[in-house]
Amino acid sequence: MTWTPGPDQIEVVGGPSKAGGAGGLYRAFGETLRGLKTTFMQATEGVTTVQYPEEKIPVYPRFRGRHRLHTFEDTGLEKCVGCSLCAAACPSDCIRVVAAENTPENRVSAGERYAAVYEINLSRCIFCGYCEIACPFDAITMGHDYEMSDYNRSDLIFTKEMLLAEPLERTPLRAEGE
Amino acid sequence: MPRPVAQMVTFTLNGQEVTAPENAILADAALEHGNVEIPVFCYEPKIGGPVGACRMCLVEIEGIPKLQAGCSVPVKDGMVVHTDTPRVREAQEAVLEFILVNHPLDCPVCDKGGECPLQDKSFGWGDGISRFVEPKRHFEKPLALSPLIAIDRERCILCYRCVRFSQEVSEDHQLVLQERGAHAFVATFDGHPYVAPFSGNIIELCPVGALTSQPYRFRARPWDIEQSGSICTLCPAQCNVSFTVRDDRVLRVLQRDHEGVDDGWLCDKGRFAYQAIHVDERITQPLLRDGGELRPVTWELALETAAAALGRGRGRTAALAGGAATNEEGWLLQGLLRDSLDSADIDSRAGGTLPLDLHQALGAPALQASVPDLEFAHAVLVLGTEPVDDAPVLDLRLRKGVRRHGLQLFTATSRPSALDERAVLAVRYAPGAEAAFVAALDAALTGADVAGPAAAAGADADAVRALADGLRAAGEDIVVLWGERVCSGAAGADAARGLLNVAARLGLEGRDGAGLLGVPDGANGRGLREVGVLPNAAPGLAAPDTDGRDAAGIAAALAAGELTGVYLLRTDPLVDLADTPLWERALEKATTVIAHASFLTPGIAEHATVVFPAESHAEKEGTVVHPDGRLQRLRPAIGRQGETRPEWQVLAELRRALGNDERLLTCSMVTARMLESIPFYAGLTLDTIGADGTRWTERPQGAAAPAGAAAPFDLPAPAPAASPNGRLRLGTFRSIWASPEVGASPALKFLHPRQRVELAPGDAERLGVRHGSPVTVACDGRSVTGIAHVRASAPEGSVFLETAIAADSAAELDGPLVEVRPA
Ligand code: SF4
Ligand code: SF4
Ligand code: SF4
Ligand code: SF4
Ligand code: FES
Repeated sequence: MTWTPGPDQIEVVGGPSKAGGAGGLYRAFGETLRGLKTTFMQATEGVTTVQYPEEKIPVYPRFRGRHRLHTFEDTGLEKCVGCSLCAAACPSDCIRVVAAENTPENRVSAGERYAAVYEINLSRCIFCGYCEIACPFDAITMGHDYEMSDYNRSDLIFTKEMLLAEPLERTPLRAEGE
Repeated sequence: MPRPVAQMVTFTLNGQEVTAPENAILADAALEHGNVEIPVFCYEPKIGGPVGACRMCLVEIEGIPKLQAGCSVPVKDGMVVHTDTPRVREAQEAVLEFILVNHPLDCPVCDKGGECPLQDKSFGWGDGISRFVEPKRHFEKPLALSPLIAIDRERCILCYRCVRFSQEVSEDHQLVLQERGAHAFVATFDGHPYVAPFSGNIIELCPVGALTSQPYRFRARPWDIEQSGSICTLCPAQCNVSFTVRDDRVLRVLQRDHEGVDDGWLCDKGRFAYQAIHVDERITQPLLRDGGELRPVTWELALETAAAALGRGRGRTAALAGGAATNEEGWLLQGLLRDSLDSADIDSRAGGTLPLDLHQALGAPALQASVPDLEFAHAVLVLGTEPVDDAPVLDLRLRKGVRRHGLQLFTATSRPSALDERAVLAVRYAPGAEAAFVAALDAALTGADVAGPAAAAGADADAVRALADGLRAAGEDIVVLWGERVCSGAAGADAARGLLNVAARLGLEGRDGAGLLGVPDGANGRGLREVGVLPNAAPGLAAPDTDGRDAAGIAAALAAGELTGVYLLRTDPLVDLADTPLWERALEKATTVIAHASFLTPGIAEHATVVFPAESHAEKEGTVVHPDGRLQRLRPAIGRQGETRPEWQVLAELRRALGNDERLLTCSMVTARMLESIPFYAGLTLDTIGADGTRWTERPQGAAAPAGAAAPFDLPAPAPAASPNGRLRLGTFRSIWASPEVGASPALKFLHPRQRVELAPGDAERLGVRHGSPVTVACDGRSVTGIAHVRASAPEGSVFLETAIAADSAAELDGPLVEVRPA
């Protein structure tokens, strides 16, 4: 059985039916020159390459980079109570929280429970920011750091201590209105 | 009362016609038959009828001006119900707003978060915005309601579920609501911790995070975990459970409601003893005795040593199986012993075996009552067993029958039973006089002379007559719930004959809703018998080629040197069996003691030569048989801890090493072979057993079971019970908490029993013993010490001691009479 294309087939638009003559000459030289004009104009514009890592592009304030966990400034207690809501929200399932109970001798967070283990596997994270939205205590936020390459995959599992630590200010922030 | 037969009626629900049983509660009928959810908080059919405490379930019924509580209205023909009108919506939102007025909404730190009915209902039926800005009620939080349960009173929505459970289901009457109005809170009446055998159920009942499990506290969220269904094999009730697993660890045990087994409840042993799976004391690698000490070795070496030792002891090796062994393990063990080791000395019963035809008759399908029969019978006789200790959830079933279905309960035990208070009549007899008592009951039922056997049983003849009359008058559906100890010991066979006589006189055979229900000592006692772990029964309760020795016979033969080795499959004779002194000599003399064990209990620690690590019930695969004949399937919830290997595999490997060439590669192969070899299991497969189990006694193939001896029998005159004469008769019992798992679970440790000497106030006074003081119980130069427990209901002339505990067990004493004195 032969296949007959339906009425909705795409019309194929071909080139000019025959080459040569003045039109052919123009296509060979005129169009090429027109293309070269763009090339030469760019050459005069100067260098746009950013010399990363010596030079860095500043990020917007809302840029979603590596996460940070926060503590209260006055008491120093962790804001995170280990509720696991971030883990529930995470679409790539890269957060692991194991909670434990605060005791009078060992008070870690402001609530009854705290995160004894808090790990983010940054090699799986897609930086969607859902964890930040899910957190009822603003304990986790997305920072600006995007420089996280490492030699070892397991080094990309960030522990609570790493996430709590003040990150190195490596990423320039775009100034207001820039 | 027999189950009521419901008539179907038709009513209109949100414009659609729905057919449901008449008088079913509207909330249930709407969900089950109309697929419409009416939100509820306080209503829980498992606990009982409606109380209408929360008003969450308001619906509109045409013809009734006010909104009605859907949890309290029975379905009637032609009723027109609306659950989604603006008026109903508004009412639901208002009720939720009211409930949340004093609710702290601390979901992030609440353990119920993610599996909380209040969250679900607020999300589904609430307004989403709170108008309440005033300060909320505050309580100190969390408090320990008991070492197992934490209570956060701020979160309580006063639904009464927990209180009703305590008052009406477990009937321990401990929980009450204190204070009034907004100050109301749940507590025990006297402020003591809520310690009861079934307390953990209120954790699952609470619709908010007010009652949470202490051991599970903050361990995981619902999205961190997986649920894995299996069976609890810590006692013969074999409740259906669901293990909560996170990171390959069991963190919690929940009920898996099965009307035919557990009715949706668990005891605290089943609920919390999972902790013993993950403790350091557990044996997780093979051990070999080397220079008097058990040392860890490789599996290869352990298996080689065991096989060599068994090979040397061919014909002189015995085997004992404990209750937690599965059918597959029992079947392999009896095959190993009978076929590869030319021995017939194998047993799974502590109290000695019965003649084979009696085993067959007691297990005959026509005579088996099911668990729901306990609830719907006209009368139940509890004979020689304490359900709360021996098979805890059955205790709740009996209480439910009495409370809700007009069941007439009779108890006949030597030790006072917790069920006495709910019984129409409670009859006592002397410890160990079960056979005489059953003979007296038989005589009373036939109108023969009761006085003689009743006197031999140390029972009141009039009470026995009243019992017989009461049973006859109650109706035809009668269930006798009897404990294995009735048919144990020297007079065990006579007791079994008497029991069969009683069943025949009451016409229990072949009657639906009536029959016998025997509670074995071991969790899988029935299954082990049926797969041939008896000295006088091959698989399928068939006659074996040769009869062997029973447990007591094995001990004597080992001590006399006639046997040289013993294979202990999940049992420690020094803890589980009677006559510890004899067993000590027996194990001392034995050259080979191969054990599968999880903990180094005294017998294993002192005497085992090879120890294989045993699986826990959450790791096990295989099948077990419920006392009512239901085959149930165990499925592994977690990987085996440490180097533990499955028991069936060890047995199969030993079998190969000893010359059986059949290859058994998976547990399901063993199951298939086991099921094939038993005629009355014919046609069963793991699939047909399924998640809910199958009662083989109800299948047509069950008719292939051997019929056994036919009642009535002529009973010999029973031997009279020993007369105390200044001393006391020794009775024993095994507490619900007497198990190594309880002792090893950090949360349950506080319940692990120590010897408790129960005696009557009169005897205590005469002997100068005070409640709570230490006493010594002595007999034939051996003695144990314990704490005196003076019980008003204890019969004079008897003293009751615990068995199955590691130290000071009553198994040390021989009886029948003992001396009691202050220590
Ligand atoms: S940013 Fe997204 S992917 Fe990354 S941890 Fe948060 S929720 Fe998960
Ligand atoms: S970071 Fe926030 S959401 Fe995640 S566990 Fe901690 S408190 Fe909960
Ligand atoms: S503690 Fe829970 S179950 Fe008990 S009354 Fe309060 S909300 Fe209901
Ligand atoms: S009653 Fe028995 S089977 Fe049920 S949970 Fe308790 S120990 Fe397990
Ligand atoms: S569920 Fe009906 S009043 Fe509570």
